[in-house]
Amino acid sequence: MAGKKSLHIESSGQLCIYCGACVGVCPLNCIYLDETRITFDERICTRCEICVKACPVGAIEID
Amino acid sequence: MVKDLTTDVLVIGAGPAGSMTAKWAAKSGARVVMIEKRQEIGSPVRCGEGMSKEWLKEVGVTPSSRWINVEVEGARIFSPSEKVLEINEKHAGNEVGYVVERDGFDKQLAIDAGNAGVDVMLKTAATGIVRENGRIVGVTAKAFGEPFTIRAAVTIGADGFESQVGRWAGLPTNLQLRDMDSCLQYRMTNVDCDVRYCDFYLGKVAPGGYVWVFPKGDGLANVGIGVQLSQIKSPAEARTYLDAWIAKHPAYAKGKKIDMVGGGVSICAPIKQTVTDGFMLVGDAARMIDPLTGGGIANGCIAGKICGEVAAKAVHAGDASKEFLQAYEKGWRVRLEEKLYRNWLAKEKLCSLSDETFDKVVDALEGVKLEKLTVHNILKAVHTKYPEVTREFEAFL
Repeated sequence: MAGKKSLHIESSGQLCIYCGACVGVCPLNCIYLDETRITFDERICTRCEICVKACPVGAIEID
Repeated sequence: MVKDLTTDVLVIGAGPAGSMTAKWAAKSGARVVMIEKRQEIGSPVRCGEGMSKEWLKEVGVTPSSRWINVEVEGARIFSPSEKVLEINEKHAGNEVGYVVERDGFDKQLAIDAGNAGVDVMLKTAATGIVRENGRIVGVTAKAFGEPFTIRAAVTIGADGFESQVGRWAGLPTNLQLRDMDSCLQYRMTNVDCDVRYCDFYLGKVAPGGYVWVFPKGDGLANVGIGVQLSQIKSPAEARTYLDAWIAKHPAYAKGKKIDMVGGGVSICAPIKQTVTDGFMLVGDAARMIDPLTGGGIANGCIAGKICGEVAAKAVHAGDASKEFLQAYEKGWRVRLEEKLYRNWLAKEKLCSLSDETFDKVVDALEGVKLEKLTVHNILKAVHTKYPEVTREFEAFL
């Protein structure tokens, strides 16, 4: 997406522990936790990176 | 095919605050539906599992060996150089209490709700709010993947830290970086911990939070950490800090990890608004976690009882307006807000102390027999030994 950095949530379970920390802190309420799946809305996300800090296991990356 | 349904009170989320709200609404004569997105109430556990105990009677919960692992005598606060401040039951005013099996505890509360007449729906998640003429009249949901609608006179969000319902309802629950700790915990076996105490390690081992060790008996303990988001510099620091702390403590480094949980904990001041037309928010979803201790169970349950009772009254009165629901807004604030605010201020101050100052404070208190652990008594004791440390607090002395 032009002008936006790329955000990646590793939600296959290799890193993600489905704890919901990113969901609760997202200021735009655009991350969704569905049992063992975490998704985010690419269109709403502003790459503010607060979820990157909230994740206790480093499963969210921005580059 | 799931049928649309209508009820008096709808509770979203079957954690402690949700079950408590549902139970008291049912006991007060309302028809109650409680939905839970998971297949099993209480599992997976996302909690340190330490809680105080004096409030249980107030909300009608009988302590049971089915969910109590250990009854502790007190708490120990370890300063950065590991000087120890012991807080026993007398000092802490019953603030200390049990280390529990959270899944068992949550199930107990859900059983109490079920026995009070609450209809519980598992594998049922709210997907959106339904509004009519500006007021909330229920939610769209999915049960076992199938969409349907639940209409209710009063809808209650008890969907925990990651609450989306509160934000859909337009309530101000957003957090700043400084308002949240990122947490990680291992359940460890084969550790040497003292089952008489819940231990807290403060200072740079866990910036803006602490490392905890809560004993579960038989060499088992929950060893966890919370780190304030505003102090995190790179991803996964909660894990980095916790692993570093464990490596430096032989009594825990020899332990074996058998479980790992993570999560977010809000450490903010009380939010400004928890009700709107047809809707109330309760527990961690309403940011009712104690910002100093990080504990959310007691506050969620206490507020839940008030919330359930007000919901039933609103049903009987045929009035679920924001004005009527102020009884809950006022009720929980009278009971909890002053302490939440005071502990938020104390937490802000604690976070600003250097390791050196913090060591001095604990050193000054070590061996001093304080009648009661009040801010005034602490400052007086510190002033006697390190007057320079208390200079900025002289107004309180």
